[in-house]
Amino acid sequence: MQSKAKLWIAGSVLVCAVGYLAFAGVKRGWVYYVQVDELLTATDLRQQRVRVSGKVLTEGMAVSAGQLTASFQLAGQRHQIPVHYRGVIPEMFQGGNDVVVEGTFDGAGVFQADVLMTKCASKYQGKHPDSIAQGRP
Amino acid sequence: MTIILGNLAICGALLAAGLALLTSLASLRFDRPSLLGASRRLMGAVAALLTVAGLALLAALADSDFRLAYVAQFTERALPIGYKLSAFWAGQEGSLLLWGWLLAVLSVLLAIVQRKQFGTEPAAVMATLAVICGFFAALLLLAANPFRALDEVPADGHGLNPLLQDPGMIWHPPTLFVGYAGFAIPFAMLVGALIVGRRDQQWILATRRWLLVSWAFLTVGIILGAKWAYVELGWGGYWAWDPVENASLLPWLTATALLHSIMAQQHRGVLLRWNAALIVLSFLLCIFGTYITRSGVVQSVHSFGKSLVGSFFLAFLVAGILFSATLLLARRRLLHSGQAITSLLSREGAFMLTNVLLLIIMLITLLGTIFPLLSQIIMGRSVQVGPPFYNKVVVPMSLLLVGLMGVAPLLSYGKPEGKQLWRTALAPVLLAVVACAAALTWGIRSPWALLATAIVALGAASLVLDLLRTWAQRMRWAGENVLLALLRVLDGNHRRYGGQVVHVGMLLFMLGVAGSSIYHVKRDLKLHPGQSATVGAYNLTFTRLDEARAANYTAVQAPLKITDTRGQSLELVPQRRFYDKSEQSNSEVAIHSTWKEDLYIILAGWEAGGSATAFQVIISPLVGWLWIGGYAMVAGALLCLLPALLPSRQAAAAPAELRLARA
Repeated sequence: MQSKAKLWIAGSVLVCAVGYLAFAGVKRGWVYYVQVDELLTATDLRQQRVRVSGKVLTEGMAVSAGQLTASFQLAGQRHQIPVHYRGVIPEMFQGGNDVVVEGTFDGAGVFQADVLMTKCASKYQGKHPDSIAQGRP
Repeated sequence: MTIILGNLAICGALLAAGLALLTSLASLRFDRPSLLGASRRLMGAVAALLTVAGLALLAALADSDFRLAYVAQFTERALPIGYKLSAFWAGQEGSLLLWGWLLAVLSVLLAIVQRKQFGTEPAAVMATLAVICGFFAALLLLAANPFRALDEVPADGHGLNPLLQDPGMIWHPPTLFVGYAGFAIPFAMLVGALIVGRRDQQWILATRRWLLVSWAFLTVGIILGAKWAYVELGWGGYWAWDPVENASLLPWLTATALLHSIMAQQHRGVLLRWNAALIVLSFLLCIFGTYITRSGVVQSVHSFGKSLVGSFFLAFLVAGILFSATLLLARRRLLHSGQAITSLLSREGAFMLTNVLLLIIMLITLLGTIFPLLSQIIMGRSVQVGPPFYNKVVVPMSLLLVGLMGVAPLLSYGKPEGKQLWRTALAPVLLAVVACAAALTWGIRSPWALLATAIVALGAASLVLDLLRTWAQRMRWAGENVLLALLRVLDGNHRRYGGQVVHVGMLLFMLGVAGSSIYHVKRDLKLHPGQSATVGAYNLTFTRLDEARAANYTAVQAPLKITDTRGQSLELVPQRRFYDKSEQSNSEVAIHSTWKEDLYIILAGWEAGGSATAFQVIISPLVGWLWIGGYAMVAGALLCLLPALLPSRQAAAAPAELRLARA
C-alpha cells in the first residue's frame, strides 16, 4: 500500500510539472492565426503579434532579394493590407501565391513581418504528402 | 491499356479483400481450416493484384505515359529516371498505393508465419487485415485513383517539384510507409487474440518482432525526412513541429513506449493493459496523422489538395476507435495481470516511467498539433502554439527520459537493493560530474548545455561500465581472450546489446540536438564580388556570380572561398536553381560538414547585375551526430532482430549468476 502511495505521489508531481510546463509553453507560443479580412474586423488583434494568411498581389510587389526585403499587398476575400517583410525571401514567394506572414502592425498601419512562409502552389498539390519537415521553405 | 490494367487490378484487389473477409469471418464462425486457407490465398491475391497495379504505375512513370493524370502531374520527359520512378510516391494517390501494397505484402508475410496455425484466432487476424487492405483498395478506387485518365494528353508533364528532386526523397517516404503499414500487423494480432478471448498473453510477446521492424523503418523514415528538410528546405533546421512532421512522430513515440513495456511484461508479467492499449494507439495514430494532414482540418504550411481522402480516413479512424475501445473494454479482464509494480526503483518501474514520459511527449505533440482546431471550436478563433510550446515541454521531458535511460540499466527487476544500486551508480554519477566540470573549463556556460552534457555522460558511462563488467566476468569465467570474450558477450544477448546500441544512438542524437539548437549561429551577409567576411571560425571570400546548366535546370551560383582558422581552404558553391518546368527557383544549400560542426550557406538573393549578393550563413555545431545517432538507433534495432551468430559453446553451462547479469 505504501509503495502504491509513493507511485501516486510521483505521478501527481509529474502531472503537475507537465501541466505547468504546458501552460507556460502555450502562453509563450500563443499566436492567433487569421485571414486578412478577419484581422481587419478584429480590433483586439491590432496590437499584438499575429499570423496572417492571404494571397500576394502581383501589383505593387517590390522585392529586393539582395537587400533581403519585400513589400507587397496581402489580400483576403474583400480587403487587403500592406506588408513589409525583412528577411530571406523564400523560394516560392511570388505574386498570386498564398503565403503566411507573422508580425505586427506599425504606427502607419503597415504590417511589419519577420516570418514569411509560402504555401505550395496548387500545381504541386502537396510537394510531398508525407514528407515530414515541410517547415520553412 | 495501363489505365485499364491498373483500374482492373485495384478493383480485383478490392474484390479479393472482400472475399478474404467473408471467408475468414466464416472460418471464425465455423472454425473450418479450409476456409481459413482460402482466406489466406485470397489475401495473397490482394497482394499480387496490388503488385500488378504498382508495376503498371511504375511502367507508366518510366515510360512518361502522360495519359495518366498522375504521371503528367508529377513527372516530365527530361527528369532523370530515378526521380521518374520515385515520383511513384510524390503525390497522394501513389503514396496511398504504396501504403496499401505494403499492407497487403505484410499481411501475406503474417499469413506465411502463421501457416501452421489454424482455428478461430488466426481467422480473426485475417479478417482484420482484410478489412484494412479492403479499406485501402476502396480508397484507391474511389478517392485517390492513381490511374485517373486525362481527357487531353499533354506533350510534356508538369515535372517533379524541385524540392523532391533530392536523393533523400527517394527513400524517405517508402521507409515511413513500411513503418506505418507494419503497425497494422500487431493490431490485427491483438484483435484476433481478444476476439476469441485468448487466456494466455503470449500473443503480445509475439508482436514484438513486427513492432521492432516497423519501429526501425519509421525511425529511418523520420531521420531521412529530417535530413531532407535540413539539406533541401534551406532554413538550417531539421524539425519545425509542423503537423506533417508531428504525424510521423506520434506513432513513433507510442511504439517506443511499447517496445519497453513489452519487456516489463515478459520479465515480470506487468503492464498488460498498457501494452494492449499502446498497440491500438500506434496503429490508430498512423491513421490519425494521415487524416489530419490530408483533410486540411489543421493548417499546415503544407497545403493539400482537398479530396475525399480525408473523409475516408476520418470514417476509418472513428470506426477504428469505437471498435478498439469496445474490444479493449469488453476483454479487459483477459488483460489483467495479477502482478503489480512494487517500486519505481526497479527495472519494471523504470520501464513504466519511460512509458509515462513518452506518452506525455506524445500527448503534448498531439495537443499542439490539434490546438488550432480545438481553439477554433472553443473560442471561435484559431490559435497556433508553435515551436516554443513544444520545446518548453518536450525538451525537459526528453532530458528526463534520456537521464532515465542512463539509470535504468543499473536497476534490477523486482525489489530494489538500495546499497547495491548506489555502488553501481557511483561511478557513472562521478563521471557525469567530471564531464560537467570539463565542459565548464571548456567555456560552456548555458545551463541546458551543461545539463545535456551531464545526462549524456551519465548514460554513456553506465552503458560502458555495464558492458565492461559483463565482459570481465566472462573473461574470468570462460577463460577466453579479450576479443573473443567481448564478441561472445555481445553475441550472447542481442536483445540487450541491440537495445544498448539504440540507447547510444539516442545519446548521440541528443548531443546533436543540444549542440545545434543551443549554439546555432545565423548571419545574414551582403557581399560584393571580391569582398570577404568572417563568420565563426571561417573567412568567406565571394568571387562572382556565374551560371551553370544541368539536364532540367539552370543554376545561378555564387562560389565562395572558405578559409578556416587552421588555414585550410575549400570552395563552397551555394546555388539557386531555376527548373525548366517550375515557376519558382529553388535554393541548393552548400554544406561543409565536420565532426565538430556544419557550415551551411544559402544563396539568399542578388541585385540585378550581380553586384550585391546576399547570403545566409549558419553554423550548426554537432549536427552531424544527430544523423549518426539516428542510424545507430536503427542498427541497434536490427541487432535485436538478428539471431546469435557465433556457434554457442558452453552456453548452457553458464553459471546462473552470469545469466542473470546478462538477462
